[in-house]
Amino acid sequence: MRVKGFIYGLRQSVTIGIGYAPVALTFGILSLKSGLNILETGLMSMLVFAGASQFITIQLIGQGATIWVIGITTLIVNLRHILMSFSMIRFFPGISLGKLSLLAQGITDETFVLNSKLLEEIPTPEERSNVALGVNIGAFVSWVFFSFLGAWFGNRLNINFSGFDFALLALFIVLTIGTVNRQNITTYIIAGLLAVIFKIIIPGKIYLLLSVALAAAIGAFLQQKQLKQNKCQGENS
Amino acid sequence: MGQEILAIIVIMTAVTYGARVLPFLLFRNKRISGVLKSFIELVPVALLAALVIPELILTPTNEFTFINPFLLTGICTFIFARRVSNLFLVVLFGMVVYWGFDKII
Repeated sequence: MRVKGFIYGLRQSVTIGIGYAPVALTFGILSLKSGLNILETGLMSMLVFAGASQFITIQLIGQGATIWVIGITTLIVNLRHILMSFSMIRFFPGISLGKLSLLAQGITDETFVLNSKLLEEIPTPEERSNVALGVNIGAFVSWVFFSFLGAWFGNRLNINFSGFDFALLALFIVLTIGTVNRQNITTYIIAGLLAVIFKIIIPGKIYLLLSVALAAAIGAFLQQKQLKQNKCQGENS
Repeated sequence: MGQEILAIIVIMTAVTYGARVLPFLLFRNKRISGVLKSFIELVPVALLAALVIPELILTPTNEFTFINPFLLTGICTFIFARRVSNLFLVVLFGMVVYWGFDKII
């Protein structure tokens, strides 16, 4: 049973793996150009495993930024992971802290949205944690492997298929269809609008954190209001 | 390995993993209800919108664009995905269609 859920998760993660491959290759190539060696590049991908912040960091290293600037920038860019793991807690009641801390390392935008969809259809917390582990490890292996590959002989690779640029967006679109419904479409629209506005007015990646937190808060507030209204109507009639 | 680079990687790992694991440490096995429950259930759908919508209608320099390979492929992929539920097939479809639009436009 354990293995079955894990394998299922691994198989579902293939789409993420395909989407990560070209991005990780690019990271490997640029990382070497900015002065890191192959080992440092691979180590960063393994330990940090957060694409956007890794790209920003190698750019900052190239510009000669101090370690503190890099640390604070990374914190700002990756703070949204708090929202994601906070949102995932509901799937794992009773799961050991050891397993959860392993799962935590694999949380990214992509694994989070895929897991949120998959885990809703799985009945037990134990099975859910196995599936999530499969998804996270699959994505992790792709990211690390292709970072190494890019650093190792990226300059000699010449891939000319632009389709990779759309892989992750296609994944998000499939998940949108399974996730958006009457109850949450308002939140979806608010988040989309806010993301566009924040992306234009605030440089960097922080628009993700701001739009998600604000839209989910507004959506939650509206849902609670609706619930109370329904209750009142129920009591009056 | 450079000391400076190693220190950078350590600090990046600390803040990133910290953000990932902190909620598990604080709220594991806690019952979450009311407005907070609604909030955490809405995070995935909000993140999906925030990841997709700007990519479809903004250029890399943040100008609005409505005839571009991303938006056109996005619409095609959306229609295709409503009919075909296989994740892998839809992603493959999106990649090929994007490649086509990218050549034309």
